[in-house]
Amino acid sequence: MSKYFISIFIGLLPILVQAQSEPIDLQQKDTIEYKDQYGLRVGADISKLVLSFMDEDYTGLELVGDYRLTHKLYLAAELGNETKRQNESLNNTLLYDYETSGSYIKAGVDMNTYRNWYGMNNAITIGGRYAVASFNHTLNDYSLYETNRFFNKEFLPGENPNREFSGLSASWLEFVVGAKVELFANIFVGMSARLGFLITNTEDEAFPNLWIPGFNKVTEGSNFGVNYNYSISYFIPLYKKSKKSKEEPENNQ
Amino acid sequence: MKKIIPILLIASMLYFVSSCEKDDICVEGDTPLMVIGFFNIDDTTAVKRVSSIRIKSLDIDSILTNDSFSDRANSPDSLMVPLRSSATSTMYQIISGSRDDDETEQEIGNIDTLTISYDLGEAFISRACGFVVNYNNITVAVPESAENWIQDIKVVQPNVENTDNIHVKIFH
Repeated sequence: MSKYFISIFIGLLPILVQAQSEPIDLQQKDTIEYKDQYGLRVGADISKLVLSFMDEDYTGLELVGDYRLTHKLYLAAELGNETKRQNESLNNTLLYDYETSGSYIKAGVDMNTYRNWYGMNNAITIGGRYAVASFNHTLNDYSLYETNRFFNKEFLPGENPNREFSGLSASWLEFVVGAKVELFANIFVGMSARLGFLITNTEDEAFPNLWIPGFNKVTEGSNFGVNYNYSISYFIPLYKKSKKSKEEPENNQ
Repeated sequence: MKKIIPILLIASMLYFVSSCEKDDICVEGDTPLMVIGFFNIDDTTAVKRVSSIRIKSLDIDSILTNDSFSDRANSPDSLMVPLRSSATSTMYQIISGSRDDDETEQEIGNIDTLTISYDLGEAFISRACGFVVNYNNITVAVPESAENWIQDIKVVQPNVENTDNIHVKIFH
């Protein structure tokens, strides 16, 4: 048998060659399709939690959430409540001391501008929000500013301290720049900086809105305000969808 | 590289915001003083100065001095007097031709006593200034006497909210 082995082998060679006659498809279609995760991401602002512990004049909580609509677009919202006590003084003389407390809701969209590598879910987003806040101020204490010292050597205390100004509201538009990184599976940390533009501002004539929950400091003579958040959130996957492959047209030879 | 750009953007945004914060210096307002103008009784539009004026507060028994006039000098066209924020009236002796008697050292100028009554109000001026006092509905009274050098008084601006204009005109 071994005598004829080589002859048989040589005799079978053409079959081997025959098997190679079909051209190798170098542009083979990838049958394993990558599917993006779609779902709801919910979390909270860490910076407000940390500040609540560190700063005795501040308590705040902000819940954040977003829902993936398309490959790039997310519906996003923030819901928060803040209480902040602030004062202004001049050369150790208290001018006024007040506390603001209220809630806000922000809703809008985020657009991811970051092209992830295979399997990654990070995001660099730009987006917009419409926000409304409802709040009240309590004027704890104040004094009357008077540079003429003929009658009074020091500022006189105000007539009606412990006054409350309630039923105040404001609404504003926000431009958001943010980033989200998947730290562990489905756990995201994010940060965002926001530029707000005040649209409506209902304030009391006797005491204007110097600070608005969610909007942050109100600057005199300007409608702009700035705030930020650092969030940690959990992604709840709901379904998977593959990205439409319009970006990679098939190469026909 | 792509990650750096948004981080820089955020950082510059924060820097931009913190750098444009205003200094907390109060320049927007102050508790106003009352502005008194002196006019000629015969020609009520013409200013008339008071010679050797002295203004004395009866409430705290001291002589008023401030930047708007000089004690025992000829008065300017208008001057400013502070009002008490702790009460709703302030009394001033306005002395024309003020000087002391050489021997007794008593005031021998012509003393007229002004009683200024008003309502107190408060107003928030700005973040840096906080609250100031406003004096509303001021009325000025002078006891009638044949020896008065003040002939007539007219309140032209009853709400004292700033020191831009004359609030009270004194005719003599």
